Amino acid sequence: MQKTWRSHVLLAYSLAILAFLYVPLVILAMYSFNDSRINAVWTGFTFRWYEQLFNNRRVLEALINTLIIGFASTVVSTTLGTIAAIALHRYKFKMQSVINGLVYLPILIPEIVMGLSLLVLFSQAHVPLGKGSLILAHITFCLSFVVITVGARLDGMRSDYEQAASDLYATPWQCFRYITLPLIMPGIVAGALIAFTLSIDDFVISFFVAGPNSTTLPLYIYAMVKRGISPEINALSTLMMAVEIILVLLAEFLQPSHKAKADN
Amino acid sequence: MKKLTLMLLLVVCFTFVLTGCGGGGGEKKTDAPKDPGKKAEAQVLNIYSWADYFDPQVLAQFEKANNCRVNYDVYSNNEELLAKMQAGGAQFDIIQPSDYMVTTMIHLNMLEKLDHSKLPNVQANLIESLQHPAYDPKQEYAIPYVWGITGIAYNKKYVKDPITSWNDLWKPEYKGHIILLNDNREVFSLALKKLGKSNNSTDPKDVEAAFNELKKLNPNVLAYDTENNKQKMIAEEAWIAHMWSGDASFCNFDNPSIEFCVPKEGTLIWADNMAIPKGAKNKELAMKFLNYIYDPQVSAQNFNYIRVPNANAKAIPLQKKEVVESPILKAANSQAGKGEWLHDIGNAITMYDKYWTELKTGK
Amino acid sequence: MKNGKLLIAPSMLWLGIFFIVPMLIVVAVSFAARTPYGQVVFNWNINNYLRFLEPLYLSIFAQTLLVALVTTVATILMGYPLAYYIAQLPKRWQQPGLILCMIPFWINFLIRSYAWVIILRAQGVLNTLLLKLGFIDQPLQLLYNEGAVMLGMIYSLLPFMILPIYVSIEQLDRRLLEAASDLGAAPFTAFRKITLPLTMPGVAAGTILVFISSLGMFVVPDVMGGAKSALVGNLIQNQFLSARDWPFGSALSIVLAALSLLLIILYYRAIQAQNGGAENAKNMA
Repeated sequence: MQKTWRSHVLLAYSLAILAFLYVPLVILAMYSFNDSRINAVWTGFTFRWYEQLFNNRRVLEALINTLIIGFASTVVSTTLGTIAAIALHRYKFKMQSVINGLVYLPILIPEIVMGLSLLVLFSQAHVPLGKGSLILAHITFCLSFVVITVGARLDGMRSDYEQAASDLYATPWQCFRYITLPLIMPGIVAGALIAFTLSIDDFVISFFVAGPNSTTLPLYIYAMVKRGISPEINALSTLMMAVEIILVLLAEFLQPSHKAKADN
Repeated sequence: MKKLTLMLLLVVCFTFVLTGCGGGGGEKKTDAPKDPGKKAEAQVLNIYSWADYFDPQVLAQFEKANNCRVNYDVYSNNEELLAKMQAGGAQFDIIQPSDYMVTTMIHLNMLEKLDHSKLPNVQANLIESLQHPAYDPKQEYAIPYVWGITGIAYNKKYVKDPITSWNDLWKPEYKGHIILLNDNREVFSLALKKLGKSNNSTDPKDVEAAFNELKKLNPNVLAYDTENNKQKMIAEEAWIAHMWSGDASFCNFDNPSIEFCVPKEGTLIWADNMAIPKGAKNKELAMKFLNYIYDPQVSAQNFNYIRVPNANAKAIPLQKKEVVESPILKAANSQAGKGEWLHDIGNAITMYDKYWTELKTGK
Repeated sequence: MKNGKLLIAPSMLWLGIFFIVPMLIVVAVSFAARTPYGQVVFNWNINNYLRFLEPLYLSIFAQTLLVALVTTVATILMGYPLAYYIAQLPKRWQQPGLILCMIPFWINFLIRSYAWVIILRAQGVLNTLLLKLGFIDQPLQLLYNEGAVMLGMIYSLLPFMILPIYVSIEQLDRRLLEAASDLGAAPFTAFRKITLPLTMPGVAAGTILVFISSLGMFVVPDVMGGAKSALVGNLIQNQFLSARDWPFGSALSIVLAALSLLLIILYYRAIQAQNGGAENAKNMA
């Protein structure tokens, strides 16, 4: 992109938004070293919250639960959602508007309603509450977000590539695997990122369908609020952030260089 | 694809390392359930309670003594507990409903009757003001565990005239400096008490009068907050807070300018209770736990950690001095008689909710 | 292509079991009434829907729609440039760039809100800074008001705008823009007539996600707004919890869903009318 004043303004604006996103996290990290149990005022520097964190079996179990449920529901909802988006894009269904409406509904219904009604369903059907029920619930609300995100990508896709492929005698599967899939991959990745974000921060629905010993991190934190959130949570968040950033940078440097050249 | 797999592997490794450390640290005292030589089925006790209401060591000792595992899951709100149980989520052995919620649950037949012959540590040890609470005078279903009085906490630095009455909240010089609890029964209770009525009143005229008073109070309110009012007082964001006695004592510990008063017109007394839901799977283990947690030594250790007012009279002398000798707690506890228990008010709650909504929309 | 249509089956089946059935329960409950202790008794009436028509509740809906609208517009203004910037980075930096944008949202929302409280409160970071620099002489009241609520909403919903828009911008054919500038179009005209219409699917998707999500939010008004406002999310939350009036809460949820669906349909009609031009641009290249 040319180095015009326009591109400088864009860069500055983007950095400002990024700063807006990250500033609270910096504060969070600072307070993880604060000596006070309550995040009210700064009283001194300490590492003890990090120590306490590693000894807190329950918060670590909650973290594991959250990650397991997050990954599982992301994988399933992204797969199901992508397939559904492709089907909606390619074919005209008789009940097109009904199906479209059905895809949007899970987002439109307040979480507490969804959580309670799912709980009623599970208990009437004698489905045991635990990580399984949480995963089922999470997949349900993530599905719509994936369909909409991948759908947006499909809408903007030029139809002539697929037509060219079928003119050249490609089977629908080949057309999908070699043309459509690579073209919509950014949409699928975006959908997966949204699904994962939704799942690991969900509180209301998770509250109602969680069983004994399947507390997730959001549930743990929300419940802690009443007694004051211990800075252990700040410590945990700071560590999570650090790990995620390191992973992203690491993944970048481990990428073979010839691929990078080809991309450019 | 390789990039993705590598990242996933790293994440998995990291989390295992983290839990390895955590598991090692926290499970030092609970080797019993994992030992294959011992009895086959290790029992599980599912506690569903407020956060931070048990000392982890106390739970660990119980696990060891009874060869079981204790799961401690949390909720933050009585109504969430009720909604979950009503929708079919009752898989817990011990729950902790508050006073008025106990009334509701008894009416809805959701609690097991307690056999006190198996609980020698309980009734004998309760403090006097909690021995016959209005919602369950004979502890047939629920036992008070933690309790408190609602009052007014204020910061001496900014509030020159000491506060003695609910009326003081309405003073114009406190505009934008007051925090009220985010709970419709609590807030209406303060207005009803100011007008000299019962905080369980179902008379529409009383409630409407209370609502009008609260509307006048609104400009003075900085925020409605039940969870972070401690932080707001300690950081001096607010000068005055509608607060529970235990929380006020906590604030005073971190910020000595904070005082507490139980208003002269009277107030609300509350208690969180231990109860066993109907159909609990491990009723016997739950009963053992109840008896264990009210043992004076255990209770003292427990409440030294959680630092809230203890319902167990015999344990209080055994607790650490700085926890129980807090002047605020002592003063508040001595005025327990001024408190009125909340009842479930049946259909009138719809009326309260409508006024609460109107109050919040500022109309 | 009959077999192909079956692709829609897995998702429909899933939603059928885990969504439609629970929703039928909700619809049934919306026609019921509550007992004194908060249970549900099925006596089939439309009182709950009639109750919604009272001025108090209508005004709450109106207020919520307004807040949602402002939030959506703000997220578009903030999210589009950022998405555009990431989309024009060299390919190998795009995915890391996206993930760096997402990392803040993988930290629990509640504690991030508390971080905002630390920044914005009267003795917080921002006010202390402004006071020291002499820009103000009294601390600003930045919290526990409507502005703070919108800030919180924007902050929590930004990724749902950034990601869909990025997805659309990334698939934009750069040659169209080159052709436009070869033909003498100013950069802004090229943006307005080519980029914007072709990236509308992304903007539309993001708008729907953000607008709908903000209609149901209840945590933000409580934490950032000091619980001083009642938006629809709080209202419905209350019905299931402190008011123990599940029938009324269910009716409100159905009304909210129906209203939102209506708005979505109208929105898509408007987009499609505008996008007649974009279709032509796409097919000409």
